[in-house]
Amino acid sequence: MNRQNRKLWIIINYLSIILILSIFYTGKYYDWPVFVIVCEAASFILLIFSFIKVFIKTQLWKMSHASDKNLDERQLQVMLNSLKYSYSAFTIIVLVIVYGFAIAEQGPIDVVIAACLLYIAHTLPAAIVGWKEKII
Amino acid sequence: MFNIHGFMKSRKLYNRIAVFRKERNISRKELAEIIGVNFQTVGYLEREEYNPSLDLAFKISEYFGLPVELIFSTEPLKPLIEEIIELKNKIGGQ
Repeated sequence: MNRQNRKLWIIINYLSIILILSIFYTGKYYDWPVFVIVCEAASFILLIFSFIKVFIKTQLWKMSHASDKNLDERQLQVMLNSLKYSYSAFTIIVLVIVYGFAIAEQGPIDVVIAACLLYIAHTLPAAIVGWKEKII
Repeated sequence: MFNIHGFMKSRKLYNRIAVFRKERNISRKELAEIIGVNFQTVGYLEREEYNPSLDLAFKISEYFGLPVELIFSTEPLKPLIEEIIELKNKIGGQ
């Protein structure tokens, strides 16, 4: 997969998370009509499909979760850079969500957002490598 | 080019890895196995998109059996034949 396609699938992957969250809160508000359940399931399938396509098939997941011993010096450098950027990005995402909930007086974040944050925390370094590197 | 921490920019290093690899008729994968890196890293080195560490540069020069300065340079490298002729003329002039 070339970089252009990788970028496209990374966008699709993260858009599907936003979709899952939006549909989840819509479903909660309207007491889960069938159409909303179908949309939620479809966006979940899209998330899994795009995850396999962009993170598993390209070996990005393997590289970002590999032990330092199994990476060479260039790969280590690439991972260190991506971790640096993903740390900053993740901090901003978490702060925006936490402050957003606090300002809107919505109480603590719920399990769906927590699960999405966990997913983002695990995939963000790989996504940054996929976004920036010509060849993986 | 970034250093290991990604903060400090370093000079671009030019090299003749592709020339010597082709001369020895080995693939990128074979060279990668010999010097202990991923085969994509050899591609990055050959395209001069990645500066190797000193250790890796020495590993490469040891494999080719050539001095490091003949493989790597901070200035664009001339074709090897031109350099040999220049060297020959220099020796002949002395």
